[in-house]
Amino acid sequence: MRRDPLGQALREATIPVPAEAEERGLRVVEAAYAHRQPRGRPVALPRLALAFAVATLLTALLLSPAGATVREWVDDVVTTSAPRPEPELAEIPGGGRLLVQSAAGPWVVQPDGSRRLLGDYEEATWSPRGLFVAAVQGRTLSAVEPDGDPRWSVTAARRVADPRWAPGGERIAYRSGQALRVVAGDGTGDRLLARSTAPVAPAWSPLGDAALAYVSSAGMLRIVHSEDGGDFAIGLAGTSVDEIEWGDGGATILEKSPGALRLQPVRLSKLQARPGIGDRRDLPVPAGATVVDAALAPERQLVAAVLTLWRDHGTRSAVILFDPEQARARRLLTVPGSLGQVAWSPDGRRLLVAWPGANQWLFLPIGRGQGRAVANVSRAFAPGGRAASFPRVEGWCCRR
Amino acid sequence: MGAESALDERQLVREAQAGSGAAMAQLYSAHWRFAYRAAYLVVHDATAAEDIAQDAFLAAVDALDRFDRRRPFAPWLHRIVVNRALDWARREALRRKVDRPESVFEPLPPPAEIGGELMAALKELPAEQRAVVVLRHLLEYTPGEIAGMLDLPRGTVNSRLRRGLDRLREAVQDEASAEGVR
Repeated sequence: MRRDPLGQALREATIPVPAEAEERGLRVVEAAYAHRQPRGRPVALPRLALAFAVATLLTALLLSPAGATVREWVDDVVTTSAPRPEPELAEIPGGGRLLVQSAAGPWVVQPDGSRRLLGDYEEATWSPRGLFVAAVQGRTLSAVEPDGDPRWSVTAARRVADPRWAPGGERIAYRSGQALRVVAGDGTGDRLLARSTAPVAPAWSPLGDAALAYVSSAGMLRIVHSEDGGDFAIGLAGTSVDEIEWGDGGATILEKSPGALRLQPVRLSKLQARPGIGDRRDLPVPAGATVVDAALAPERQLVAAVLTLWRDHGTRSAVILFDPEQARARRLLTVPGSLGQVAWSPDGRRLLVAWPGANQWLFLPIGRGQGRAVANVSRAFAPGGRAASFPRVEGWCCRR
Repeated sequence: MGAESALDERQLVREAQAGSGAAMAQLYSAHWRFAYRAAYLVVHDATAAEDIAQDAFLAAVDALDRFDRRRPFAPWLHRIVVNRALDWARREALRRKVDRPESVFEPLPPPAEIGGELMAALKELPAEQRAVVVLRHLLEYTPGEIAGMLDLPRGTVNSRLRRGLDRLREAVQDEASAEGVR
């Protein structure tokens, strides 16, 4: 055989291999293999029994109130109307403070509706108790007091995005270019956690500042130690995931994509031995619906979602409350046109739903009680009251 | 790959299709190193190469039931690896154009102990040329096979290969001399 010096050189060249990369990949591949759905092979008797059980369960679900609710919703007409809007935000229903991002920058809204523009920042997020705001401008991440005074800043080599303050207040995770980085709450110790991430904001474990979840550029959901980036757990993220949220007391990660909502159970107690991500579970999003936004309740496994349904006679949007534990889905509101984002109140009793087409915010109780609506939202967050684009709610503070 | 090992591999694929996790793990172990090396030689980024290799195996798991086990496993996997590596390299090149040139990443390890000049020269090639060089000389596919894997005309493969080799020749010759490879 003719010797190929180039081939030999390519085979023998020393290349960097990340520590435990092969073993890490094997764990992921084994997990994926264990979850695959074999096709076209004879079904063994135990599997046939399993398939029968699954089919029975699905039938029961479809005939159950939860399935019926979703089915009803699919062909629903507009029956639940939005509340009559108040002309301006005179108070925040249920209290708390809002962080609102407008074209001019982030605003802090006090419980009485008064508001202050923090400065020329492109993105912002609350610290856990609302004592600070982490704000982004270009390649700079800053901690700013709610009155607008900056405390510290760090500058990254690439554009900063998606800052998220850890629940204990000691760390802030953010994306810079494709990298995921962490800096201490006092602006020190900025360091790299992961080099290649998908354009999805990271999510902290609500249990503390140690565990952080993110989606890698290869589409893996990774839970890493926020100190050194070491893997706690790895699993497959859903296709086209554009948002993750870690809630339900640390037990669940919600994955949202335009066509699906998925709950990923997390078992933190088993992190060291095996991947601590359990079998994921899809919520019953109606076929053809687009998931505009979704949010996990602060302390419960309750998912609020805004869905858009495209119909020949026009677009309609609905706010759906999924209760996976009870296998129930409840429609809170249906309106013509498109709704926007949804956010939970700190006490988990209300939802704020954006309705850009009507220039309104809707405050919807999830239990008994009347909803409230506020009109002229975009003008309220435009300096000088000029017309502006509809603002985005970055957070409703605070639980503690 | 010899005839015997090809038969072994077909057996592994058959067992993996039938539900044997051990067979899947053996396929992984047999191919991961070359998949990672091929990806790294195209993208020159260790983290990306790890993700690409992992992604290729996940794609293989996903398509396992559709895989024709009369065909060899490696070319199927290598096709996924190199095409994903090319996609990554193109995205990275585009990102470099619109982003700042500095890197936020920690520096890569020191220059390779073996093949340092070759690696440096390879890195200077366009990703498309790196891919055909890797497929031809690391993975030993013929230009016709490479054309099929990359969905390119054979003439394009040959011209990319020729241009890439011209630019590598000097580095390879220098290193081959130093290492005693003739």
